[in-house]
Amino acid sequence: MLVLGIDVGAATAKAAIYGNGKILSTAIIPTGFDIIKTANEVTLLVGKRIGCSIDDIDFSVSTGYGRNIVPFANKTITEITCHAKGVHFLFPEARTIIDIGGQDSKVIRIDKSGNVISFSMNDKCAAGTGRFFEVMARVFDLEISEIGPLAIQSKDPCQISSTCTVFAETEVISLLARGRSREDLLGGIHKAMVLRIISMAKMLGYEKQVVLTGGVAKNVGVKKFIEEEIKMKVMVPEEPQITGALGAALLAEAEFSKQLTSGEK
Amino acid sequence: MGTINTLSTYLERRVSDLVRLKKEGKKVVGYVPGGFMPEELVWASGAIPIGLNKGGNYEAVLKSTEFLPRFFDTFSRSQIGYWALEDPLYRLPDLVVVPSTDKSIETIASCWELWTETKVFKLGVPHNVESDHAFQYYLEGLHLLKEELEKLTGNSITEAKLRKEIDLSNRMRLLLRKISQMRKSERPPISGKDFIKLNHASFYTDRDYMLTNLESLSKELSEKDGKKGPRIFLIGSSMAEGDYKVYDLLESAGADVVVEDFSEGIRPYWGEIEISDDLILALADYYFKKRTPLPALFRPSTEERSAFLLKLAKDFSVNGIIWYSMLYRESYDIEGVYFGRQAEKKGFPFIKIVTDYNPAENFSLQTRISAFIESITVR
Repeated sequence: MLVLGIDVGAATAKAAIYGNGKILSTAIIPTGFDIIKTANEVTLLVGKRIGCSIDDIDFSVSTGYGRNIVPFANKTITEITCHAKGVHFLFPEARTIIDIGGQDSKVIRIDKSGNVISFSMNDKCAAGTGRFFEVMARVFDLEISEIGPLAIQSKDPCQISSTCTVFAETEVISLLARGRSREDLLGGIHKAMVLRIISMAKMLGYEKQVVLTGGVAKNVGVKKFIEEEIKMKVMVPEEPQITGALGAALLAEAEFSKQLTSGEK
Repeated sequence: MGTINTLSTYLERRVSDLVRLKKEGKKVVGYVPGGFMPEELVWASGAIPIGLNKGGNYEAVLKSTEFLPRFFDTFSRSQIGYWALEDPLYRLPDLVVVPSTDKSIETIASCWELWTETKVFKLGVPHNVESDHAFQYYLEGLHLLKEELEKLTGNSITEAKLRKEIDLSNRMRLLLRKISQMRKSERPPISGKDFIKLNHASFYTDRDYMLTNLESLSKELSEKDGKKGPRIFLIGSSMAEGDYKVYDLLESAGADVVVEDFSEGIRPYWGEIEISDDLILALADYYFKKRTPLPALFRPSTEERSAFLLKLAKDFSVNGIIWYSMLYRESYDIEGVYFGRQAEKKGFPFIKIVTDYNPAENFSLQTRISAFIESITVR
């Protein structure tokens, strides 16, 4: 049995093929203007890596912000449920997920079976998402991958009081003009962003093991400041962007098996 | 469903009927339906009460920015928006009664006072329901309202007229309660959306017509079974007429609302007014003191009210509770967090969602509601 999970997010599209109890292939590409085209491309890529095509897939589940328009998906499931399943597969002891994507962030509490207990989501404000870091990297003329390592070098992170991306950018420029170091400014930016996420986690309630996912999980500064704030070790999957697609694939397998058992397939 | 369709057709022409009645000399009294304004007094004065409870339209929110700062409760700000958009219902009242329950609702009164020619009556609603001083203040407000209505209509509110109106309104409460309780069934015979629409209709239909239709609907429903699916308790500050997005999203996720509680937008129906020698006192006793569930959470009745709502959740076998907040209605935001923790302690999955009536929020609301339904379906 081969099943496909496809997670079309605002910034990137991810796909995972699962079969025989293993993750067989994964792929990530940027989400283009045309979501259907992006979904087709990422599916082609994830299949090509193991020499299969969409015709070889028994069942597929789509998730993410573009989930409703993936033409070949047999079922759609929200990214909240999919992340929970994907993280549970990789970290069976996980009870809290902090997912920070390109344009949203969420905190999900899960039980020992990987079912969602409760969740909180910010998809209305860029501060607290990957977009915030993209804007800040541009201010320093740095690549997005460079800002985390610089942030953790700070000995005295600046206080960034603005909670809005646009105003934070202005505040950073004015602090730069006052001669604050790049490291301290980036340290402050990371801390401000982490405080937003952690206040969401505190409101919801969190417990260990905490797993950080989404594109921003690749940022070592974010991981460090979260650990400092919650005084707990945070786990990061080897490929933190793929958990939604993986969960979708696992749910596709469960659904297909159910249909086989009930004779629908 | 026969009666629901009949009512919908009637509602389409009700506003023009009201315009005609006003031209014929009837006085129209608008009010914010937050559960503290005794409609019985208005009917007994010979005027027609209409609950001003529209919402769900982002155009009204945008229009309101001409009068109010942007950071203000979505429902309350929409009210001046509808007036400015010349909604016919909002242009009818000769008098608007606003029970001042919190600063958001109080601002509805201020907007009518500042920007319209319509006369406004502010009915003070103190927060301490247990204090005799607070009760006397509310009671005094009802006496003043009675005088105001008599002055407006030129009619005197006699004991006989008021007694008749209390009987009729009690009948309406009883029928709404009977219909609501049918939703305890595994297959509720009426959808959550139809039930809330019945409440909304009752705010401006002719009450005799409404009573006749509620009687026939109650008979129809007793022989009907509806859909089975995840059962939701919907709670919040305001459920405005026209704001049915959450109901539609729940329905598309295979779930439905089986019980609800709102401060604005639903007629309190869990109890009846006990008639006594002093009818104004009886009204105050019911509307201010004995009403179930007790007035909004942020008053000193928090624990009793939470307990009552959690009992409702149990009695209606709900699978989850959705707290529906208006953006910038802080008092309910605060209570939503408190009540959510009480609900979770009792084992009820809980989620808080927020609206600004903005179509741009549709997808994020859909994601939250779908994820919530997915999570309760596997439990």
